[in-house]
Amino acid sequence: MIKKKICMLGAFATGKTSLVRKYVHSIFSEKYHTTVGVNIEKVQVHTENDDVDLIIWDLYGEDEFQKVRASYLRGASGCIYVVDGTRKATLATALNLKKMVDNTIGSTPFILAVNKSDLEDQWEIDMSLLEGLQQKGVFVVKTSAKTGEEVKKAFQELVKEMLCK
Amino acid sequence: MSQKIDKHNGLDELKDLLIKEEKEKIQRIERRLDDPMVRAKEISQSLPEAISLSLINGSHIPRVLQPVIDESIKISVKNNPETIATAISPALGPGIRKAITSTLMGMIQSLNHVVNHSFSIQGIKWRFEAFKSHKQFAEIVLLHTLVYRVEQIFLIHINTGIVLEHVVAGDIISQDPDLVSGMLSAIQDFVKDSFQTNAGDEIETLRMGSDRSIWIEHGEHAMIAAVIRGNPPLDLRIKYRELLEEIHMKSGMTLENFDGDTLPFSIFRKRLEEGLEFKEKKMQKRISPLLACIFIIIFLISVMWGVNVFKTRKSWHQYLLRLKNQKGLIVLSAQKENGKYHIYGLRDPMVKDAQLLPGKKSEKNINVTFNWKPYCSLDPEFILKRANRFLKPPSTIKINLSGNIISAMGEAHQAWIEKFRKTAMTIPGIHGFNDKMIKNIDMNKLDAAVKKLAAVKLYFQSNSTKFIKGQEKILSGAVDIIKKIRKLQSKVKTNIEILIMGHTDSSGSERVNRRLSLERARKIFNLFIFQGIPPDFLTPIGIGNKIVLAKENSTKDRQYNRAITFKIFYKNLKTGQIK
Ligand SMILES: Nc1nc2c(ncn2[C@@H]2O[C@H](COP(=O)(O)OP(=O)(O)OP(=O)(O)O)[C@@H](O)[C@H]2O)c(=O)[nH]1
Ligand SMILES: [Mg+2]
Repeated sequence: MIKKKICMLGAFATGKTSLVRKYVHSIFSEKYHTTVGVNIEKVQVHTENDDVDLIIWDLYGEDEFQKVRASYLRGASGCIYVVDGTRKATLATALNLKKMVDNTIGSTPFILAVNKSDLEDQWEIDMSLLEGLQQKGVFVVKTSAKTGEEVKKAFQELVKEMLCK
Repeated sequence: MSQKIDKHNGLDELKDLLIKEEKEKIQRIERRLDDPMVRAKEISQSLPEAISLSLINGSHIPRVLQPVIDESIKISVKNNPETIATAISPALGPGIRKAITSTLMGMIQSLNHVVNHSFSIQGIKWRFEAFKSHKQFAEIVLLHTLVYRVEQIFLIHINTGIVLEHVVAGDIISQDPDLVSGMLSAIQDFVKDSFQTNAGDEIETLRMGSDRSIWIEHGEHAMIAAVIRGNPPLDLRIKYRELLEEIHMKSGMTLENFDGDTLPFSIFRKRLEEGLEFKEKKMQKRISPLLACIFIIIFLISVMWGVNVFKTRKSWHQYLLRLKNQKGLIVLSAQKENGKYHIYGLRDPMVKDAQLLPGKKSEKNINVTFNWKPYCSLDPEFILKRANRFLKPPSTIKINLSGNIISAMGEAHQAWIEKFRKTAMTIPGIHGFNDKMIKNIDMNKLDAAVKKLAAVKLYFQSNSTKFIKGQEKILSGAVDIIKKIRKLQSKVKTNIEILIMGHTDSSGSERVNRRLSLERARKIFNLFIFQGIPPDFLTPIGIGNKIVLAKENSTKDRQYNRAITFKIFYKNLKTGQIK
């Protein structure tokens, strides 16, 4: 059995924990409990060729007071950058975090999850912006932890990418 | 040319002369070096010595040889597994036995634990504790009896925090090791980041509560984390350190290039399991005073009860034996029903209650109900007793039994003697009687009175019916005697006839004397009747001087013949015989 560590990264309250919980336990809550430090979850992912044990490090969201610690990233085989579609600033945070990751542990497979797709009418992020990123080779998924839309896909795509590398 | 050749030959000769010996030596050495057979032969001679020498100097030979040996074993097993199998089979048996024994011992030990602690007061306390804390009873027992126990060991890849291998002690329920290990890594990262530690500073111990801790040993790429209950000795750490070094030595490269595949690390599973140590607390088996008291009381009570049971049993048996030996009783059965004894049997009515009932001190607790049917005991003792009861002999009579014949001895009145004769044979167990040794009191009295009367003489004046002086007294005595006889005769059922015989002296004619003697007798007869004696058994007769009462040697002697005497006859009523 192959085990891989991945990290959930993004600004606070973007839905990192919600996505993991939806994926691992199939539950969703409107209540917001900010993550302190790290939450670790484990889930088995089945792909065409392999079964992988994903050890998911759900990190606390970054804000102006708290930067993400580099040491938590160590040994990660992949990252999911979570953006809150309703808050434009979170995309910038995600991109900054990616730069930080590349600097500390080298370029790592990743995907960009733009979350809260169920609230797409309130989104601040332009579609064109995301398409631009996609053209640059960034894998973008529009997810909703609430409805579960594309959640599974997000994790499975990341695993695929990790195993290709 | 020839000179040249000669010159050349000469040089050779010179060479030969100078270094012939050496040349030959060199040639020999050359041959030796060229011929592998010769060399092999030589090395084979010095090889054993060389090996032992190098071993003394701390050798590399084992290390050098190890791959070779490994390889050759592999080949050997592949080509001819039989050989190896035969070679190791003697060692295999004991090995398997040992493994099975130790597994069994482990099972027995844990079973012992639970059994030992299940029935003590301590055990009950711990059960309550288990109930309160929602833990398993076995866990609580371990908690109290262990000095320490290594519950889990994680082999963790430091960089990723991923668990490479994880072992758990027997009955511990562990959480997902990946989550635990992840958190463990995260905590360490957090602490290190937060406190700006020096390079190389690591968390070595985490503590939870009073008795649980995690020991962490760091290697270059991997760390060992051991979850421990209790207080382990420090040399356990050294053991983990060494284990970690071994793991790095064997799999350093795999660790460095770890890509998530944990399979290669399963080879360390066995070694990690060896690290799951535990040591038990020696429980001092002190029995609590309360329990001891209860035990002693229970013991005493049961001893007392036992003694009591034994005593009552014994006294019951003795009592029963007494009853069985009791004459006049036949015990047919004795049963205990609902704690009460019931005795069934036959009882002669003459056996007194006092002889039956539990009377002695030892028999006091015996509670018994009798179910007797009356019967007649033919035991001599009882026949005799019965006879005494029936016959009511006077105190002057003693009754004896010999065989079935009853005999009475002593004095008794006529009435009793008759009763004896009549009823003796009707008494159960008596077939005959003997009355020869009974003296009839009434008869004796009668005889005595008769004798007395027979001796009475009344004297008269010459040729007269007048008494001589002093006869009145004798007369009234005779009356008394006759009255007595009269009374006694009816008692003994004999008819007495009294002849009042008149006598005369020899003077005078026979006819006159007869007349005189009859008159004298008549006088007495009349006197008696006058005194109230019935006439029917008195008969006066005159016999003159036919019976001489005294020889008449002088006239004075004649007086003795002028008399009245009495003759008494017994007439048996039944037979009519006269005695
Ligand atoms: N409508 C909607 N709400 C969402 C979605 N995902 C998360 N939320 C809500 O957003 C809030 C924050 O979610 P979390 O998952 O705790 O966010 P987080 O990124 O883990 O936050 P930190 O741990 O503080 O960094 C919660 O109230 C969630 O209910 C989504 O897909 N749709
Ligand atoms: Mg969170």
